[in-house]
Amino acid sequence: MNAIIETRELSRRFGKHLAVKNLSMEVPTGSICALLGPNGAGKTTTIKMLMNMIRPSGGRSTVLGTDSTRLGPKEFARIGYVSENQELPGWMRVQDLIDYCQPMYPSWDKDFCRQLIHQFDLPLDQKIKSLSRGIRTKVSLLVSLAFRPELVVLDEPFGGLDALVRDEFIRGLLELSDSTEWTVFVASHDIDEVERLVDWICVLDHGELRVSESTASLEDRFRQCEFTLERGQRLPEALPDSWLQPEADGQRVRFVESDYQADTVAERVRSVIPKRSELTVNRMSLKATFMALARSYRTQS
Amino acid sequence: MLPFTVELGTGSSVYRQLVYAVQKAIVSNELSPGDRFPSVRTLSQELRINPNTAQKVVTRLVDQGLLDVQPGVGTVVAQLPEPSQRERSALLVQEVEQLVVEARRLSLTMEQVIEAVQFHWALISETQPSRQQVGDVPKEASRK
Repeated sequence: MNAIIETRELSRRFGKHLAVKNLSMEVPTGSICALLGPNGAGKTTTIKMLMNMIRPSGGRSTVLGTDSTRLGPKEFARIGYVSENQELPGWMRVQDLIDYCQPMYPSWDKDFCRQLIHQFDLPLDQKIKSLSRGIRTKVSLLVSLAFRPELVVLDEPFGGLDALVRDEFIRGLLELSDSTEWTVFVASHDIDEVERLVDWICVLDHGELRVSESTASLEDRFRQCEFTLERGQRLPEALPDSWLQPEADGQRVRFVESDYQADTVAERVRSVIPKRSELTVNRMSLKATFMALARSYRTQS
Repeated sequence: MLPFTVELGTGSSVYRQLVYAVQKAIVSNELSPGDRFPSVRTLSQELRINPNTAQKVVTRLVDQGLLDVQPGVGTVVAQLPEPSQRERSALLVQEVEQLVVEARRLSLTMEQVIEAVQFHWALISETQPSRQQVGDVPKEASRK
């Protein structure tokens, strides 16, 4: 796999709190990768280490082939970064900010910039401090996309955006797909926001990486299964490790198979519960898969 | 704008939903042979989906013989072998099931449902006289 971002045992400690623990992951070049996890899982800390904004306490990471602690202007000219709490100079007009950013990027695409201004319906003459949050986020995105970055890093970009602005934001982001090489790394606590967009998912939980996998592979691997026990029969204590959230409602038994294989799923159930009704097996959405995973972490901890 | 109807929901993957929507549009003549099919880029941007997913959808439909890639022109809807009655009615299974469930919930008889279907059939046929019949609804309903 050709990885645009790669981390090895990356860790960060804040006092006694270990915010990111031995994170080893790879983000494939050309993917739209979501870094998912609840608030406090270590997403922003990870991104800040990748972007050389804070130092790791241990381990290392490379971005665009460069050690992230050595990232400088040359690399940042190829990376577009938008975060939820991005500070923009409030006293500048939107046009001033564009004029200010443009010379910093050799690859700045004036036509693309004009197109995005039009598409985002941005008020060029207004001062940034007078803009609403949604418009400010679009301004951030504009100056992060107009130079056609090879890597776009987004930290909770949709927080507080209404549905329409979010839609415009995603549309703008997808405009980049014209570029030959582009990768998006987006941190979000909400799978709904990114479900359609991503083809690779990393899940962080309490600073630890739980999943780093393509969505296609997750779709193959997870199934919602259901069967009925015979009267008087009970669900055994010991169930296969790959069964997430087994639950019995009367005689109905439901579980999520996290290691689904068409030819062995029924056999595996039979080995645990020989007498039962026909097994029904259903595909799961990415969201349902993510929810099942998230709940299983909670029961483990 | 896309030349066919698709409303992406949750539930199943975007890839599967989109492949299904295009198949349905082609089989039901919403897309006709020779029609231009949107580029991967257009699909991705209009539906706000991953371009790699859009690419996979197009590849799949080309593999199934539903789309043709014509050098210099782009992707067009392929000439189809006449779809069988079976393929057409397969498209409706889910809708018919929902209809039956809803009808049973309201304690309607099958005759009442068929009557309602006939009524709407006539209504639509008035505006779209050229549409071919799609599936055999009463038969499907009685089987459930």
